[in-house]
Amino acid sequence: MNPNYNTTERELEYSLPFGPAHPGPGNFAVKLRLDGEKVVSAKADPGYLHRGFEKLMEYRTPIQNAVLSDRICVFEPLNWNLVHAQAVDELMDWNVPERAKYIRVVMVELSRIQSHIIWYGSMSKAIGFDTGFKLAFGYRDYILDLFENITGGRVYPAGYICPGGVRKDLGKNMPEKIRKTLNKINDMLSKFEKFDNLSILVRTKGVGILPLKKAIQLGATGPVLRASGLKTDIRKDDPYEIYSKLDFDIPTEKLGDSYSRLLILRREVRESIKIINQALNNMPKGNVIIPSLNSGTHINLPKGEVYVRNECSRGEGAMYMVGDGTEKPYRCKIRGPSLLHQIPVLEYLLKGSQIADVPAIYWSLNPCPADMDR
Amino acid sequence: MNDMFKKQEFSDKQKKVKKLKTQMKSLWVFNWFNSCGFIELIPLVGSRWDMERFGMILTSTPRHADVLFITGYQTIKSIKRAKRIYEQMPEPRIVIALGSCSMTGGMYWDSYNTIKKLDNYIPVDLYIPGCPPRPEAIFEGVQKMMEYIKNNKKMVSKS
Amino acid sequence: MNKYLEYQKENRIIRKISSKFKVEVSIQRKRRVWVAVSKKDLVEISNFIKGIGFKHLSAISVTDLIKEKNYELTYHVWSYQDNTLLTIKTRINRDKPTIDSVVSIWEDNAQIHERELHELFGVEFKNNPNLTPLFLEDWNNTPPFRKDFNWRDYVRDEFYNKENKREEPYWDAPL
Repeated sequence: MNPNYNTTERELEYSLPFGPAHPGPGNFAVKLRLDGEKVVSAKADPGYLHRGFEKLMEYRTPIQNAVLSDRICVFEPLNWNLVHAQAVDELMDWNVPERAKYIRVVMVELSRIQSHIIWYGSMSKAIGFDTGFKLAFGYRDYILDLFENITGGRVYPAGYICPGGVRKDLGKNMPEKIRKTLNKINDMLSKFEKFDNLSILVRTKGVGILPLKKAIQLGATGPVLRASGLKTDIRKDDPYEIYSKLDFDIPTEKLGDSYSRLLILRREVRESIKIINQALNNMPKGNVIIPSLNSGTHINLPKGEVYVRNECSRGEGAMYMVGDGTEKPYRCKIRGPSLLHQIPVLEYLLKGSQIADVPAIYWSLNPCPADMDR
Repeated sequence: MNDMFKKQEFSDKQKKVKKLKTQMKSLWVFNWFNSCGFIELIPLVGSRWDMERFGMILTSTPRHADVLFITGYQTIKSIKRAKRIYEQMPEPRIVIALGSCSMTGGMYWDSYNTIKKLDNYIPVDLYIPGCPPRPEAIFEGVQKMMEYIKNNKKMVSKS
Repeated sequence: MNKYLEYQKENRIIRKISSKFKVEVSIQRKRRVWVAVSKKDLVEISNFIKGIGFKHLSAISVTDLIKEKNYELTYHVWSYQDNTLLTIKTRINRDKPTIDSVVSIWEDNAQIHERELHELFGVEFKNNPNLTPLFLEDWNNTPPFRKDFNWRDYVRDEFYNKENKREEPYWDAPL
């Protein structure tokens, strides 16, 4: 630049809305300030999906809330079903039957595999790798057929995991069908590993690096924190259901860029397949729901408060419930993992990057806008 | 000479239907997926239920599109953006409302931030019920739309 | 097993806190400890707790106790070293809710939670650098999550049409 040229730096900047009507994000907007092709600062703009979930739950009884709790995040409905059911179970302090706990773990791990497949497909589409997108969504339909056979709905299972157990038993031939589907998912994973030398490696290696100290300070949890180097998982540190009896591993990486988050995704699908096989082999016989609930009795929530934490596929999902003696909860606070990933972590990572890297950074954090706005 | 000019006076509605008849073989869809319903629109683009064999592909700008899918509930913040997108599309255009939340408010009928009836804000041509509707149901709805156009029936809403 | 042997880790944490400050403590079950403090000691205790190893702030929440005319604030903090969850509770006045912010301790993590609570409940956090609205645009009414703002009455007046007979079941629904 000519040193005699009489302009300040601010006159060269311009602002660009990376907005909601864009195939890049989707239901979420970021306002970028650019200088040429480099991003100077970013400001997040949430709120396009805000329904006020926490107060909607105060007008409904726990059985009605079990149907409403699928819709907190549309990509992983069964995981949020389990969070709500665990909160009511702990308040009421009753014993859930053993067979119900095993079935709950099988359904939650299937839902986690399905959510990771959506992550891989959307990230490939945003980068421009169409083969990965079509393959991923093609294989996901096998799992949705399983859900339709067990619960009755392809996407929303209508409150299958309810307080007190699960609603219906698995059929007689269901474990055989689940094992066949898992073999197909193994085929899919071996195909994904062959794609590593193509465009994915070039566009995601060394992009969006998050160091470990900053990650803890900004509040990242789940796969984002494991990619930066800390070996932690709520299923091992704060166990619930039957996870303390199962044997599985926790994948971690050291660098913290987009490519290491992608590697962790693939390894987590393999660990989930291990968990499902162990649970299917050791399942006991018995009831699947507390017998007194079958005839439609009234549930009165006692006075007290609980805080329940769960490992959703995006991070730490938690619920704080307060009961006061009536049949409806007094306060029900939902903590989603995406609120912290999409506002502080994204604004930190986008500063100083190129504009062509913005989709690769955004989708590697695995965001869910419905989780953030509630 | 005067007779030739008289023959070319079509009414507004007939103009719209005549134009749509020629475009019927390839309706382009605007790529704006909003709230819950879109999770069943993505398999439509995939290989199990292929929508490209009917000529429908996704575009990234509303100025090239014919069909706008409103999938699911709309909050007050996002209905303002939807209205702007609707006015950017060139005539003739079709609006399809998917799901039960756009018909009557659905599961969030007592929420303070969602709208209850889409017809008060944007004119709607076709409703497809479900929560969310299956891909086969969406195909049946689009097929009914094509039959209406082919048999030259009156369009239901005001243009 | 003896109760003392079972809750060794939790008892050690309680001893460290109550040797320095005057608080009420209780153990709910394994890995859950609840502590009640007064409003002016909050920032001091939070500083001390972060020094022991509680580095991850999980959530901040507000409960609207309308009969006692109070707001109850809860801070849920998790420690990666000890694998325990500690919850801190305080109470503030409901008509003029103000309290000091904990942004100086848990930084960006706490700032987002406080910004959301300011918009939905109307709580004033001093020293928070950015309290602009997060989810809503052009909202001029009372904060929407308070207990005296009835949603079903508001929705009936604003969205439904009283002259249309077919919409009557919606705006006349029982509570």
